[in-house]
Amino acid sequence: MNDSPSSTGRSDAWSDASPEQGMNRRSFLRATAALASGLAAIAALSPLRELESFSSVEEFLQKHYKEMTPEEMAKVLERIEREVERQYGLRPHVRDYKPMNGVEYVYCLNLTRCIGCRKCVHACVAENNQSRNPEIQYIRVLKMPNGTFDTEKADHNYAPELVPGKGFYYMPVQCHQCKNPPCVKVCPVKATWQEADGITVIDYNWCIGCRYCEAACPYWARRFNFTKPSIPKDKINPDMSYLGNRPRQQGVMEKCHFCIQRTRVGRYPACVEVCPTGSRKFGNILDPNSEVSDILQNKRVFILKEEVGTLPRFFYYFDI
Amino acid sequence: MNANTKTAAVLIALTSLFLALATAFNRDLWGRPAPLPSIPLVDPAFTNPAPVRVSAAELKRTGGDTSELECNLCHELNKPANLKLDDKGNVILPKEHADLVMHHGRNDRNNSCFNCHNPQNREELLTKDGHKLKIEESTRLCASCHGPTYRDWELGVHGRISGYWNRALGPFTRLDCVSCHHPHSPIFAPLPPAPGPHPLHPVVVHSVTQQASP
Repeated sequence: MNDSPSSTGRSDAWSDASPEQGMNRRSFLRATAALASGLAAIAALSPLRELESFSSVEEFLQKHYKEMTPEEMAKVLERIEREVERQYGLRPHVRDYKPMNGVEYVYCLNLTRCIGCRKCVHACVAENNQSRNPEIQYIRVLKMPNGTFDTEKADHNYAPELVPGKGFYYMPVQCHQCKNPPCVKVCPVKATWQEADGITVIDYNWCIGCRYCEAACPYWARRFNFTKPSIPKDKINPDMSYLGNRPRQQGVMEKCHFCIQRTRVGRYPACVEVCPTGSRKFGNILDPNSEVSDILQNKRVFILKEEVGTLPRFFYYFDI
Repeated sequence: MNANTKTAAVLIALTSLFLALATAFNRDLWGRPAPLPSIPLVDPAFTNPAPVRVSAAELKRTGGDTSELECNLCHELNKPANLKLDDKGNVILPKEHADLVMHHGRNDRNNSCFNCHNPQNREELLTKDGHKLKIEESTRLCASCHGPTYRDWELGVHGRISGYWNRALGPFTRLDCVSCHHPHSPIFAPLPPAPGPHPLHPVVVHSVTQQASP
């Protein structure tokens, strides 16, 4: 090896070179590795192309829902209203509805009356600002052959001329807001939890999109935003809630939340309001005069997948 | 070619290869999923909460066309009825009312007009125990035979209730029987289903047990 003025005893890629020998193997490999890792780093940073969805420093630094003071929440709501206005051109009102006292929601579904028309599915999509392309639907109506509760035999994609078909019954499934929710247990960041009135909610700004909850749910109630949701501007429902139907971003989970923006002000969810046969019943189980109390006391009620112990708040029953 | 140029050449080749790879990954040149077909917006009929029928009460309330309910334009009051029944006790419809579909009750057990209508005054309804009801009060007539259903209806268990589940915070609406059930053919008519799920990947249908009769 030749000596060079900069030699300090440690090998140096360029000082080891000489016009006769060229680079030695070590220096060559080092240079290539440095170059390749540099290029790989550049390629790995390519998700930054989607930087336009990173809205603001405030959103990044936002606290967990349960830790926010009312003033911080007010600022967050105002920021969300601004973002929605910027994106969709109309100013919504986003509120943080708190649970009512002495209320625990229960949902009952009459399988004798459900005809499988799927109006509930689309009323929900319209009410809750879900992505239309690809379309996210919280409710999945299963077409089941008479005589079995085995959901493996269900047809999810039925499209006959008219429903109901002879020999089948129709079982809509959505989030059951279980009393013992597996999705809440598996969330690694506590972005989802069950509130006092029974609704299992998601904080969309806290969710990291790992989809453990989707794997844990036995009813497949959870939906993930694989792509950026696209909602036509004229279909936006401006009556929004923080934990409910405000527009979500790519990479977060969402699910039925019993139309939290309606139920927490005392109204029926959108699916109940649209059902043409009146198969859907909703109410406060702690009120002995509600229709759901009467159903649970007097009708032949059952729950799905009782053996997994989720204790759902969603009861199916037959009337006749 | 001496060693130096060879090294440089290899370096340049590798550099361009890695640059090309980096560009390819950056621009998703392969592994890109096929674009999904655009999903059409759903027909607004599928999100319309209006009931399937317009009841007589609703017609009168909204000032609609009630000419079909004016029976006494043709029928004389108190004229005795001349009903033709077949051997099963079902009415044989006169040609003026041939457009009616009479299908009340399983096995057509209730297809006689004067089980509901007052023979003396066709614009009135008559219960079996002699109560005269206006057409828009038909719910009480239905209740006179369908007791358990009426009990459930009063509780909000039968038929749709809309508005406020919390009765203290706002009003609620209960539909009357004929908003969903045609009184002559009360079985709820089949409806066309709204579009189903649009999955991100093409659906492979495995169903072998879906043998439905049409």
